[in-house]
Amino acid sequence: MIFPFLAVVKKELISVFRDRTIIISVLIQLFIASFSSGLLLGMLSLYDADTIMRVSGAGFKIGVVGESDGVLASYMTDRGLSVTEFSSLTDAQNAFYSGQILAFVTMPQSGDGLTEISLYLPESDAVSSLIRMVIQEPLKQYENYLRAQNGIEVRYADLAGKPAVSFEFVYSVLIPMLMFFPAFVAGSMSIDMMTEEIENKTLQTLLSAPLTVSGMVSAKIVAAVLLAITQCVAWLGLLHLNGIAIQNIGWILVLALFIAGITSTAAAISASFFQDRERSQFIYSLFLLAGVGVSTMLRISPITTLSRLAIGDAYTNGWNVMVFAVILAGVYWVLLRISRRLMK
Amino acid sequence: MNQIFVIAWRELTRLRKRFEGGASPVAVILLLAVVGLSVYSLRDTVSLGNGLYRLGVSGDVPEINDSRFAVNFVTPEEGQKLLADKTIDVLIVGSEVFSREDDKSQFAVRALKQYMEETELVRVANSFADEDAFPLRVGISHLSAAPPPPTTDASGPVLQTTQPVEFIIPSLTPPPAPFTQVIVTLLYIMPITFISIFFTSSFMDEKVNRRLTILLSAPVTPFQIILGKMLPYAVFALSTTMLIAKLTGGNIPLALAIFAPTTLFIFAIYMMVPLFYRTFKDTTFIAMFVTTTTTAYLVFPAMFTNNNDLSYISPLTLAVKMYRNEPFGWREYLLPSLPMTAIFAIAMYAGSRLLNEEFLMGYKPISRKVADAIYLMMAHFKPWFAVTLWSLLVIPAVYMTQVVMLAFATNLPVGLILGATLIASALIEELVKTVGIIVLAEHGVVNSVRQILWLSFLSALGFLIGEKLLLLISISMVTQAQVSSALFGAGIFLLIPLVAHFVFTSTVSLLRIKLRFPYWLALALGTILHFFYNAYVMRGGL
Repeated sequence: MIFPFLAVVKKELISVFRDRTIIISVLIQLFIASFSSGLLLGMLSLYDADTIMRVSGAGFKIGVVGESDGVLASYMTDRGLSVTEFSSLTDAQNAFYSGQILAFVTMPQSGDGLTEISLYLPESDAVSSLIRMVIQEPLKQYENYLRAQNGIEVRYADLAGKPAVSFEFVYSVLIPMLMFFPAFVAGSMSIDMMTEEIENKTLQTLLSAPLTVSGMVSAKIVAAVLLAITQCVAWLGLLHLNGIAIQNIGWILVLALFIAGITSTAAAISASFFQDRERSQFIYSLFLLAGVGVSTMLRISPITTLSRLAIGDAYTNGWNVMVFAVILAGVYWVLLRISRRLMK
Repeated sequence: MNQIFVIAWRELTRLRKRFEGGASPVAVILLLAVVGLSVYSLRDTVSLGNGLYRLGVSGDVPEINDSRFAVNFVTPEEGQKLLADKTIDVLIVGSEVFSREDDKSQFAVRALKQYMEETELVRVANSFADEDAFPLRVGISHLSAAPPPPTTDASGPVLQTTQPVEFIIPSLTPPPAPFTQVIVTLLYIMPITFISIFFTSSFMDEKVNRRLTILLSAPVTPFQIILGKMLPYAVFALSTTMLIAKLTGGNIPLALAIFAPTTLFIFAIYMMVPLFYRTFKDTTFIAMFVTTTTTAYLVFPAMFTNNNDLSYISPLTLAVKMYRNEPFGWREYLLPSLPMTAIFAIAMYAGSRLLNEEFLMGYKPISRKVADAIYLMMAHFKPWFAVTLWSLLVIPAVYMTQVVMLAFATNLPVGLILGATLIASALIEELVKTVGIIVLAEHGVVNSVRQILWLSFLSALGFLIGEKLLLLISISMVTQAQVSSALFGAGIFLLIPLVAHFVFTSTVSLLRIKLRFPYWLALALGTILHFFYNAYVMRGGL
């Protein structure tokens, strides 16, 4: 019984490597990873004040016109901006048009309990939006200062910390994407493997081998899961070579294995039920969306579990992973019932 | 025309039959459940940093309801111990916050700062009068680029501004970033992609069941078959565009004008999937690849709306401007729309040539299938005309691929971005200029050195004309990008690039056809030559 099973696994794996289409899957993952980190880099350099300040902070020369107490100017200086004080609007305007400053702020004017200031920016959209990014924090600090003058204390306003976007991207987007994308592909492949046999009418021939229908379906799932796990191992190796520290690698691989098993089994249920590619893939896509929604709602999201395993969270361990083994067992039990339809 | 409608009606009937009966209720229930659950469970979820931080909380602390944080309630002593042994990242005791010096703890503090700012803002807004809670107004003006004339007015200068003053409250008005609008515009793309997948599946279904063969033997042309099958899906896609525009408060005619070329482009790309696939697995992989690259092409530039004029190469940028009520002109409209429409036209032509049983049913390596497809498209014409036209018409595809490559290259260290983009661009250009000549030679249409040189010249000429036509449209948009001058050859005397293109093309073609070099090696050598030429141009050598 085991040899026909392995023969089907081998047949599917050989077919994938012969067609070389798995290369496209790997390319897609590489592309998504590179594209999203490229996009992140681009956006950070334009929309993240910390990154803008790190790259060209001192280059932002801002003029301040006639501020008596110097509070706003000091907030801007603390932020790393180059601040020049002017005594009149004419001086600031001349400095602006001679290129000495990029923008200027007029002194605060109080009236009716409100303080009004004017910010003059250049016409260029690109430069203006960068200035608005970097000046936002000093303006908010100044707003808090004015609130304090009104007797309103804003708590936790002095927190600083370090910008975390890159860290958050790697552990909550990049690693889960690289570990779970192969699982989603494995599901689609399971449908392709099964519906191709059905639509080309080769299923009955395959079933004439000494193999049960559930054995045949399981062999196809195993082939898809093996491919997914191989890709996960390769991605973990590449991440390691890139110097990204990942904890609990063993459990991460087990989790990726269970998720690939769940998606492939669910896909096989869909293929057994509808027996054509078009409807099976459609329902499988919906199942994936539903899975993300339900798991997030029940607070057992595999993405969060994986992120926490990767950063070495003290409260996340093998038990969190075993939840998905239970789900896999449940989905597989349903498959054993549904796959009988293939015999009809 | 009548036949197109007959095929379209038949397609609708096929689709209705496919999803009626057992599948229909399941699909509807699942769809509703998915939409409901996803919206409900993900409404407060922050995607970046989900579940990464652990906080210890003690005493009177605002409720922390953010998906980035897991909260442990502790006593202050316990909390200090847990913080020290790195079990938690931050400890909050009343209004005091404790952290460690390591990166992870500091990242958590920054995330907490963002969350607390919002929470405190809500508290302050609810507890105090508006003018006390929000005491600062900032009036933002944009000064004109030209200085105003000198004035002797004693009251001071009159500043010349380009737009009306925009008043903001700093804590309530984040700086303008196009994220939200790009996400809204992505709503248009998702249904179009979904619908085009059904279009693809329909073709595959007909192919597997050999009904396409029967259809091809009927008195209808392949062009009519493709158009007839595409028509209902295109109507669905444009209807969803109108619906989304209506629901999101967009301008319906403008949204249609922006997304009609995009819809045609996506359909054109997806049409290639059933033509080229050999097994079902191919379809999945090719469809995924197509989805990924088209999304990258559409989203990446739009994220830089108003920051870089290159963003106009994506139609989503126009949609972002539509939602911001900002005007755009014909040039801005044509820059993304024309290449997309051109690709649709090429794909329709290619589809009508490739829709035959021998091509559809043959099992060959993908590279071989692509070569056969190019030959089938060219075989209808004289070689000199086919090669010139091919080089001219593939320009939009080259241009789009180069943009995707640019997005891809931004992942590299800054010093390598330009070099990698130039190499990739040179490779793509050499590939498209030479592949037509190579496939014609493989089929024995081209043999002599003279023929190869003549076709290389025509290929270079066609490419150059296409390149300059594109430049004509894009010149006012992309000149600020350093890369564009090398990619599109801006500002260079026409003869020199023509000679350069001819030299590279004939080198690759001769190496492959006459000296029997492997194609990849000949291409690599041509690419290296082209790269050095581009680098020389960029350094001001020409």
